[in-house]
Amino acid sequence: MIVGIKDTSRLAAIAVMAFCAVFVCTMFLNYNIDIGAVSSEITSPEAKALYSAMLSCSKMACSLSGGCLAITSAVMLLFYVKHYVTLRKRELGILKALGYTDLQASMSFGIFGISVLAGAAAGFCAAYAVMPLFYKTQNKDGLLPDIDIDFHPSLLLYLVILPGIFFAALSVFSASRMLKKPVISLLKDTLQTNGKIKKLRESSSAELSFTAELRKSNLKTKKALVFFMVFSSFCFSAMTQMSFSMNELSSFLMGAIIMLIGVTLACTTLILASSAAVGGNTKTIAMMKAFGYSDKECRTALLDGYRPWSYAGFALGTGYQYLLLKIAVNIVFKDVENIPDYKFDLAAAIVSLAAFAVLYELAIYICAKRIERVSVKEIMLE
Amino acid sequence: MIDIVNASKFYGTGQSRFQALKSVSLKLKKGGFYVVTGASGSGKSTLLNIASGLERPDDGNIIYSETDIAGLTDKELTQFRRKHTGFIFQQYYLLPNLNVDKNVKMGADLAGNKNYREVIKAVGLEDKLQKYPGELSGGQQQRVSIARALAKKPEILFLDEPTGALDEQTGRQILDYISTLQREYGFTVVMVTHNLNIAQMADTVVKMNSGKITEIYSNSEKKTAYEIGW
Ligand SMILES: Nc1ncnc2c1ncn2[C@@H]1O[C@H](COP(=O)(O)OP(=O)(O)O)[C@@H](O)[C@H]1O
Ligand SMILES: [Mg+2]
Repeated sequence: MIVGIKDTSRLAAIAVMAFCAVFVCTMFLNYNIDIGAVSSEITSPEAKALYSAMLSCSKMACSLSGGCLAITSAVMLLFYVKHYVTLRKRELGILKALGYTDLQASMSFGIFGISVLAGAAAGFCAAYAVMPLFYKTQNKDGLLPDIDIDFHPSLLLYLVILPGIFFAALSVFSASRMLKKPVISLLKDTLQTNGKIKKLRESSSAELSFTAELRKSNLKTKKALVFFMVFSSFCFSAMTQMSFSMNELSSFLMGAIIMLIGVTLACTTLILASSAAVGGNTKTIAMMKAFGYSDKECRTALLDGYRPWSYAGFALGTGYQYLLLKIAVNIVFKDVENIPDYKFDLAAAIVSLAAFAVLYELAIYICAKRIERVSVKEIMLE
Repeated sequence: MIDIVNASKFYGTGQSRFQALKSVSLKLKKGGFYVVTGASGSGKSTLLNIASGLERPDDGNIIYSETDIAGLTDKELTQFRRKHTGFIFQQYYLLPNLNVDKNVKMGADLAGNKNYREVIKAVGLEDKLQKYPGELSGGQQQRVSIARALAKKPEILFLDEPTGALDEQTGRQILDYISTLQREYGFTVVMVTHNLNIAQMADTVVKMNSGKITEIYSNSEKKTAYEIGW
């Protein structure tokens, strides 16, 4: 076994994503199916308008959260597969040397599908647990007929089982693609120097200091981390602010759910990205320290580059949620009465920004502490 | 220049506690070329790591121009290494995503050395400035690591098995660069190797066995990298 069940615990972030995505989608889709079954009973024009608004709203929620999270989970999964292929490249090389094909050598990566399956299953169950409350709030004005919760096995198939299989297959295939190189390059201990050479022949206009160069090359060669940093702040910004507005526009429950999902996603991706920023660079840190670079210089080179991206992600999330709610209120719900006009909530934005800043700087602070703990002895452990 | 006094180092705890260095004393003089040899596991690297401020001894003193670096904090040790030492390791440890020029800059910046390209030229890599470590042979990578260490203008250069991963011909070339550059720049060299032949290049040879220095002698006549056996 190149990767085993124990390694899947490292993929908690992916499980959390799967949980959130399946949780939201199960709730909305189940509601759509159930209310679709009684749509003939909806007769009054007001109720009809509300019904169609509800439908578009839940479709939007499902495709946005489901789609966004699925893509992010896939990116994250590829990130982990790459991490483990690099970590276990010697074992993988030995398998290849023994005559295993790339695909056979990669089979054990299928186990990563389990983390998706577990997260999705948990999200599915959680959705059914919250559903009674959700059904009530969806119809709090009593305009729509009261409906009972039905269990739909097809949802279990589409939201839990198939995603599990898909992600297992994705892990195996991506791992086997990463193994498509000569056995010898896997076996040689060339972890740090003979990886794929990233050509960064940039214009050498300004003479930057070494730490600035390192920061630049880190951003260019570790795009996945930049993506996660942006995604984290984007989620945090969009979802917390949306949650505040939801409290006013729709229901406390929806607001709370969105807040919870947003904060969870933001935290897991932020932790993942920031710990990878340090964990993937321990040899570099040890070498810099051996040469006499201070902890602060290591931190500047390895962590500070992400800050502008994170805060840009926050700004992006703010704009995104503003547009989304504007569209929801003015287009989707335009025929429904009692929906107040949506205005940009400055107070919410400020509170959200402050909370994000605290969270982000805390994560960076923890990473800085980890950098301080990296011992120069790392370079002697071979 | 460095005075190692009764230095001991232990690894592990309890049952598996193991003394890698047993009260070792050694005086290293400015401008000397020291080679530390001995069997694998005899404590050579441990001695080098302690003398260079990479690690602290558990007991004893390391006096460097009147300061005992054994008593410094991690931060102070880092400052010490920044000011005084250069390192070359068997595994090169170049940064893979930076080209040769920028890898050498890692050392140069610490000394505010603007003319670091001279050192790259001195190791014969002036036409490889834009290459990445993965595009270079082992010998070329080790030359980059020499340039990186020397660009820092160290007073003492510490080398742990610098030719350990290289073939004979490349190994000789590396050693030749080191001794030539030492004459040019005048730094002190402390080199660890299990290859006894390399000892013939040294002013002073330190032999170790199971954590102790068993013999220290001076060569009346130094040989060049191309004259020694391999
Ligand atoms: N970090 C460590 N933890 C435990 N034991 C170590 C450590 N470093 C070295 N040793 C042990 O100390 C002894 C001397 O090691 P070292 O100085 O590396 O020897 P040499 O460089 O001469 O081969 C060896 O027996 C080695 O196993
Ligand atoms: Mg050694």
